[in-house]
Amino acid sequence: MAGMECRVLSIQSHVVRGYVGNKSATFPLQVLGFEVDSINSVQFSNHTGYAHWKGQVLKADELNVLYEGIKLNKVNHYDYILTGYSRDTSFLMTVVDIIQELKAANPSLVYVCDPVMGDHGAMYVPEELLPVYRDKVVPLADILTPNQFEAELLTGRKIVTTDDALEAMKQLHKMGPKTVVLTSTDLPSSQGDQYLVALGSQKTVKPDGTMSIVKIRMDIPKMDAVFVGTGDLFAALLLAWTHHHPKDLKAACEKTVSVMHHVIKRTITYANEKAGPGKRPSPAQLEMRMVQSKSDIENPDIVVEAKILQKS
Amino acid sequence: MECRVLSIQSHVVRGYVGNKSASFPLQVLGFEVDSINSVQFSNHTGYSHWKGQVLTADELHVLYEGIKLNNVHQYDYVLTGYTRDTSFLEMVVDIVQELKRANPNLVYVCDPVLGDHGSMYVPQNLYPVYKNKVVPVADIITPNQFEAELLTGKNISTQKDAVEVMDLLHAMGPDTVVITSSDLPPRLGDRFLVSLGSQRHGNDAKIFFRVQVRPDGSRTTQRVRIEVPKVDAVFVGTGDLFAAMLLAWTHHYPNDLKTACEKTFSVMHHVIQRTISYAHELAGPGRRPSPPQLELRMVQSKADIEDPAIVTEATVIS
Repeated sequence: MAGMECRVLSIQSHVVRGYVGNKSATFPLQVLGFEVDSINSVQFSNHTGYAHWKGQVLKADELNVLYEGIKLNKVNHYDYILTGYSRDTSFLMTVVDIIQELKAANPSLVYVCDPVMGDHGAMYVPEELLPVYRDKVVPLADILTPNQFEAELLTGRKIVTTDDALEAMKQLHKMGPKTVVLTSTDLPSSQGDQYLVALGSQKTVKPDGTMSIVKIRMDIPKMDAVFVGTGDLFAALLLAWTHHHPKDLKAACEKTVSVMHHVIKRTITYANEKAGPGKRPSPAQLEMRMVQSKSDIENPDIVVEAKILQKS
Repeated sequence: MECRVLSIQSHVVRGYVGNKSASFPLQVLGFEVDSINSVQFSNHTGYSHWKGQVLTADELHVLYEGIKLNNVHQYDYVLTGYTRDTSFLEMVVDIVQELKRANPNLVYVCDPVLGDHGSMYVPQNLYPVYKNKVVPVADIITPNQFEAELLTGKNISTQKDAVEVMDLLHAMGPDTVVITSSDLPPRLGDRFLVSLGSQRHGNDAKIFFRVQVRPDGSRTTQRVRIEVPKVDAVFVGTGDLFAAMLLAWTHHYPNDLKTACEKTFSVMHHVIQRTISYAHELAGPGRRPSPPQLELRMVQSKADIEDPAIVTEATVIS
């Protein structure tokens, strides 16, 4: 990665302890040689899955003020923007304004967006965020990492079969992003019920100017634990690996999902050790083993193969 | 390695000062870093413009409360640096004292940032707080010559003065003192500056896992002198990186200040050299690089951070 000059602006949560939001995204990207500028949308003691959590949130005005500082110094040039979990519509609207301005400053900018709204059929952010994501955020996104529920919310269509999922991704492409990864679905895996299905779709322009599309599927081992911050890690890694494989979604996803696998395995092993036999690990014990996974982040052994469903 | 650091420092959106300067290198070396951001600014205050928000002492307390309520307030190290607010600093002291009760082996690494080259660049009322409250609970401190003089009330003109000042600082609390830069005349010529370190061993009052006591119970002190090349540029964040790396290398060499200093100063050298080269490239021939161009080349220096080639030798002095 010597000589790579790539600057990411990541606008996410900060937790004092643990790995979610910017804590989850920053270290892996830095380890891979990216310059990461980070705006912390909140500062909490820890993520909200613990018994207790305390801290402060950044208001939309304060976000603007920070961006102003960057702009006044004329250093508002980014190659990537990365955003994730947000609870505040005015904050999200300010993020949209900032992205539009940064895209005007650098038309090649790539906006990687995790449209965090909910999972398993229920929203866990305020409902009013949906129209903001659908009408303002997603149209600006270049890479989108919704789960099945979020894809359904954004497209207004339920996903039952693989065809439904591919249709939904096609619709998401029309809304803006050229790369869409459905990070998890309820679709049945050919490998059995210990696996979940993820899908990806990428539109690229061929040298002759025509559009090409590739669609992939991955069967990923399910994990018997609730992790927090894994979606944030996923989006950050997808940013990194699509940067290195911009027209090869299969390779980018295999690397991303493989790193996830190594980090999660290491984390589960450690958590179970800490908890002791027969006991369920606590949220504190389940924090991702991020710094311990540095080599896997740098150079992941590929442990999952993406199947190409369609290539044109 | 299972080692958790609580670092209470500034956060800048862009660049490398405070927690931005300390976290990545410590994480790369395998430390778990919990970080409380004392401020969030767009960039450091050496740029033409800077904007952002500060954390109040109350807000700091609230964050610490969250950690405590979850029973995860066990730390091996605390690391602090630049602060402008006395009530914030006093809250930090309260937190350090509580964390030390929770873990008597905790090591508090403190950069007592007060000023440089003969003048203070923080509010004057921080001085008594550092002297009377902070330094007494610190285990490792990294003052520059001005800060060492200020804290002890004694001037440094010779190496003998410096040794006496470091002994005075030991008496105030910390067993490890590194005077990160001084005006003492370098033996290697005027392109160098002199740093000094002193580490006292064998303190029964603290339950150190790394106590080194003479058979008769008296304390030994290892003192080192190190000369490092001066650099023709103003860097920001280097002191923060230094304190973080001294934390890391004294962790690995708890009774060998010579080696800990050689590693720490060597990492600094590599990062700074890489930064200067890059900054000059960006600025162009004959032009002085700007603050943005002089930001430390941190992520690019990962290999040097992990395994620094030793480029400077510390001399043991008596």
